[in-house]
Formats: sequence, structure tokens, C-alpha cells
Amino acid sequence: MRAGNGTAGRRRRILVAMSGGVDSSVAAARLVEAGHEVIGATMKTFCYSGTPASAKTCCGLDGIQDARRVADELGIPHYVFDVEDEFTRDVIDDFVHEYSRGRTPNPCVRCNSNTKFRDLFKRGRALGCHGVASGHYARLDRTADQPRLLRGLDPAKDQSYFLWGLPAGLLGKLHFPVGELDKAAVRERARALGLVTADKPESQEICFVPTGNYRDLLGKRLLPTHPALSPGPLVDWTGRIVGRHDGYSGFTVGQRKGIGGGRPEAWFVLEIRPETREVVVGPREMLDATRIVMGGLNWLATPPPPGARIQVQIRYRAPALACRVEACGADRLELAMEAPAKAATPGQSGVLFDGDRVLGGGRIAHARGEAAPACATTSSPPTRRTA
Amino acid sequence: MRRIHTPLYADHAATTPVRREVREALARCAEEALGNPSSGHGWGRRARRRLEEARRSAAESLGTTPRRVFFTRGGTESDNLAVLGRARHQRTEGAACPLVVTSSIEHPAVFEAAGQVVAEGGRHVVVATDAGGGLDFDALRAALRERPAVASFMWVNNETGLALPVAEVAAECRAHGVPFHSDAVQAVGKVHVSLAEVPAELLTVTGHKIYGPMGTGVLVATEPRALLPLHVGGGQEGGLRPGTEDVAGAVGLAEALRLAVEERRSEADRLGVLRDDVEARVLGRVAEMAVACDEGPRAPHISSLRVVGADSDTLLAALDADGVAASGGSACASGSSSPSRTLTAFYPGDQAASLRLSFGRATRRRHVDRIVEAVAHAIECARAAAA
Repeated sequence: MRAGNGTAGRRRRILVAMSGGVDSSVAAARLVEAGHEVIGATMKTFCYSGTPASAKTCCGLDGIQDARRVADELGIPHYVFDVEDEFTRDVIDDFVHEYSRGRTPNPCVRCNSNTKFRDLFKRGRALGCHGVASGHYARLDRTADQPRLLRGLDPAKDQSYFLWGLPAGLLGKLHFPVGELDKAAVRERARALGLVTADKPESQEICFVPTGNYRDLLGKRLLPTHPALSPGPLVDWTGRIVGRHDGYSGFTVGQRKGIGGGRPEAWFVLEIRPETREVVVGPREMLDATRIVMGGLNWLATPPPPGARIQVQIRYRAPALACRVEACGADRLELAMEAPAKAATPGQSGVLFDGDRVLGGGRIAHARGEAAPACATTSSPPTRRTA
Repeated sequence: MRRIHTPLYADHAATTPVRREVREALARCAEEALGNPSSGHGWGRRARRRLEEARRSAAESLGTTPRRVFFTRGGTESDNLAVLGRARHQRTEGAACPLVVTSSIEHPAVFEAAGQVVAEGGRHVVVATDAGGGLDFDALRAALRERPAVASFMWVNNETGLALPVAEVAAECRAHGVPFHSDAVQAVGKVHVSLAEVPAELLTVTGHKIYGPMGTGVLVATEPRALLPLHVGGGQEGGLRPGTEDVAGAVGLAEALRLAVEERRSEADRLGVLRDDVEARVLGRVAEMAVACDEGPRAPHISSLRVVGADSDTLLAALDADGVAASGGSACASGSSSPSRTLTAFYPGDQAASLRLSFGRATRRRHVDRIVEAVAHAIECARAAAA
């Protein structure tokens, strides 16, 4: 099988998305080595002025300068594309909207699904590019009729989780030149090439939240009186008020921090109810989900029929969990878990795999568990559901 | 498809290549074993002689006297020194809240210096300017009556080529006893600049826009003692710009300036014809576009094109891919086009992409076809990217 690093084949003009980090630097270098005509591109996703912390994130001004330096070293042109309008609409607005209704968004998925590949490639295509490349740790198998998106070879770095939302029609145009390498090999390659980004630390923060606290952004984008930023009750699964919180947007299902202690066992956020501003808390086993319902689906393969046994990954760097397709509709997928899943968080991505292959994915709408909390025999467990 | 052409430089407003005569002058300095101009020995005397020759030559080119010519390290430094230096000096004379007055379309070197004056407790009054070169003289006079530290109005706008009515502004300033500063960086060598005719107390010139070395500049100051220097040190350049003088740079700048002024009439005529031809032919080929400030008096070397429904970054990238160097509004640190203050002031709310072509010695008659062709093709690409 020629599972593609995407660098082989005939000479093409390829746009490579360069963040200024080491992975995309090496991705560009490998495409150049493979003889392609490579154009480096960095997206300007938001306004950097007045953000002293911008240098810390891969998309800040320093990122642009590093990307440009690497492109110069590789002898390829490099352009900055202002995609602020599109990024604001598809990523930042969605991010704020999701938190405002008690869900936990996945902005990197939104950016890959919309901005980085679709909007950036639109510009690339106008420049005569045949394909678009990135430094994601993922692979493409081009041997089949329809290209298949596969996990990156390095399980510690695999980033296929973030790519489920790509337009399926774009798969044939994509290149992931570092998908067959591990991180150490990428750094080694960057050092060997003398790239300035060889030893640059990993970026972990959300690029448009330079302060590292997303609540600062919500505070700027929502009215101070918005329910998501207003105090509300912390309740247990029976509805009993056990405390107060200062805005449900500060919580994520599965979170332990911020709900107070003093109990014999640790409690976690089980559910967020924006309509009543309630944050429901309870013991860990109540997070167990045996059924996961997803919406906002995107398929990179033929949708699996009911009864199909597949795997679902519900967070980055977590193992994929075996499940059975219960129902698969136009925009609703119901999965029965073989073993309970911990904290399926509404709004987060559920990425569907068949082994190494990404079939598609969606956003977790809600999850349902069956475990009754050990300490509560008198009440039924909550149904975890959001608007 | 990438079309292979010899590269064509149409970005003379960004910088210009060092011309042969200047290269030779720089080489002579390098060969001459010059000492430090502050030293009393023969080596120092030789350096001092070169420096003072350069000063005399620069003064003659600008219609002023050598005592008023101060070498700096570039246009930004000269502008900063004029604006900040004046405001800070006024504060030492007891003004609690120094005022600076500028046009609405100044270069960031002036505008940001005015911002710094505000940050230090002063005030900045912006006098509205229109695309036809008109100025709100009532507002100017009202501001001048407040005895500002300096009034700064650029001679020629760097983004559009628009020429401001500096003679009238200078006369108003003189009538009100206010020092007048003009950033003449884009004017020298393109329009007639003579302090004998326009009595500016302060004037900024830079070397690299007139085929001289980068990092060289002049500030003409009729009253240097009324300026607080930005640096402290050994008292060189009358204490206005401490630090060992860049003798070769001053010699190179003076030679570039001499030639620019000497050749101004014929070169300006040639560029004006060429620019008009490019504009007429591009407008004849491409619908829904316009030339910025075409109703106003313009310097002959800049064409600022406003293109409806196009992505500006793609426009420049497509031109670069075609081997034609141009720029957007003005070069920004990120390399992406950023909303230009000048164009926003002239065309508020207009979403058109802007393309600045700027012509110079490297631009020949025979290049016009190629420029028109490349611009038309790039606009096509940029409109596809914005569709």
C-alpha cells in the first residue's frame, strides 16, 4: 500500500499551510525535496495589534515571521493571507456560540474544516495550485478509488482527530508530508536542514485566545448580562442545590475543577443546562455514557449502516472506543458503546474510525448513561442533554 | 500555469535599488581609510571632510543651508525626531499638554509618533484630507491657533501618490508661528522640493527611496535647539543624533539626493506618461476598478488601484508568481494587507482590494505591456479567490 505522505508522484504546484511551527516547516521542506513547486502560505486569522502575548501562539506575528524565514531558507515564495473575516465567522463566532449554549467547542476542527483547507485552498487554487499541504500527523491512502484519510504513524502525535470535518471532495487534493514520521524524526529533519523552527516548542493554546483564558474572549464577545456569564446554581443529579457558580461557560462536561470539594469522592460536571443556568455535578461513574448521539456529521467514507461495528474517538489523545451504529440519519448518528465512555462532552468532536481509517465525524449532541451513582439509590440518574 | 518572465520591479515606493553612482561613492568611502569624524587626527579629518561635503551637497539639493542638515538613520527616525522631539521640547518649556497637528493620511512614522505624544500626556489633532488633495483649512487654522508644538503634513502620500498643498500649509503655519514639518520621503526626485520656496522648519528625506543606501536619512531643522533628541550619547549631529556618524551612508545619500534633484524634471515627466499609460490600459481591460486619488494632484510614480471583489493578498501573490513586484496599501509587519489608514480615510466603508504599483528608474516603456498583462491576470485570480 502506498499510504501517502503525499510527496510522491509527479511535480505539482502545492500550497503548504505554514504556521511557523516545526511540523509545517518540515512538511514544506519534504515537498520541496520531492520536487514539487511549493508555495508557503500563512493565514492571518485575527488582528495581532495590541496582543503582547501573540508571540506565544503559533499563529501570532512571530509565527508569520518564522514561516517566512523557513520559506526563505527553502527558497520558496511565502504569502500571508488575511482570512480574518472567514475565521471570525466560522471559528470564533462558533466558539462563542457553543460556549454560550453550554457546549464545549473544538475550534481547531472548525479551522481545519473551513478556514485552513477550504478558504486557504481557494486562494491557492486561484494561484494555480493543484493541492494543499499541512504539517498534520495524518496520512492519505491514494490506492483506492476514493482517497482514504488515515491516522498518522506516530500514535503519540496522530492528529487525524482534527481532520474529520474536511470537505470529502478535497481529500484528493491534500498532502500530509509528515504523517509517516514521528515528532523526533521531524525535529531531526528540521535540524538537518538548519531550519530556525527546529527546536520551537509545541503550541498548545487556542491561537485566538492569547491570554490563555477563553473566558476573556467570551467576556469581550458576549454582553455581561448573558446567562453564560451570569451566576447560577450548582446542582446535584437530584436537582438539589449544592453551590453557586459564576457562569456556566466556565464549565465543561467531565470537568472536576471549580465545583468545590469536601465530599468523600470527587465530583464532576455531568451536564450544563443553559436554560436554567444549572451546572449539574455528581460522581465519576455518572459520566459513563453507553449511548452517544452526534449531529453536524461529515463523512469521508460511505456512512456505515446500522449494526456496523466501528470506533469512536471522543477527545484528542484518547483511544478510540468500540461501538455499534444504532441509527444513521442525514444529520443524526446514534452509537451504542461496547464499554461505557467517560465524559462524552456535548459540542466536542466524535471522530469515527474503522481501524486506522477516518470515516467521518460529528459533534457530540448528547450522551446517555445507565450507571446510578453509588451514593444515591433514591433517584434516577440524569439524562445528559443540551439544547 | 506559472508563466516564466524576467522579474519586473514595480515597487519603487517601498524601496529602490542603489544606483551605480551611489555604489561607486560608497566604494570610494570604503577604500579611503576613513577614521571617526570626531577624531582629531588625519583619518578623522578625512572622514569629517567627507561628511561635511555630503552635508553641503544635501543642503544645496534641498534649497537650505548645511547648518540645518542633520543626518539620521532613516525616514522614521527623522519623522520621530521632528514630531516627538518638538513635543517633548515644548514640554520642557512648560507646556503641560503639547499638541501636534497632522493630516489624516500621514505615514505611521509620523502618526505613531503623534500617538506617542498622546501617550505622554499630549494631544493629537487630525486635519481631514480628501482624495482630491483638499484639506480642511478651517480646522487647520483652528488647531494652529492653539499653538501646537508642530504641524506635520506629508509632501506626497506614500500609498496613493497624492500631493498635499504643503505650500499653503506652510504659509498658514508661518502666519501662526507654528513650526511646519513635512515628510518628503516620497516627494524628493518626483516633485519639486525646495525649502527656498516652501518654508518648512522641518523636513524628512530618506536615502533608500531615491536609489541611495537603506538606513540613511536627513532631517532638515531650522531650529535644532527646539528639538529634544531621541537618543543620548556623544553629541554628534549637533546633539540631535548622537552616535558615530555613518559617513559612507551620508555620502551615498547626498549623492543619491543630488542626482534625484538633478534628474527630477525629466524622470518625473517620463514616469507620469508611463503611469498614465498603465492606468488607462488596465482600466480599459478590467471592469469594476478605479484609480485612487485620480482627481487630485499626484506625484508621477505611484498608481493606487482599487479593485472591487478581489482578495488583496491573492492579488499580490499572483503578481509575485508572475514575477511582478508590487505591494498592497503599504508594507505591514505581518506581510498581509492591512486596512490602510489613507484609503480608509478617502473611501470609508469601501471593501475594494488595493494594489500599489510604483514606478522608477527600473521601469521602462517596453515593460508596460507586461505590467498591464500581469495586473489583469492577477486581478482575475484575486477575484476567483474572493468569489
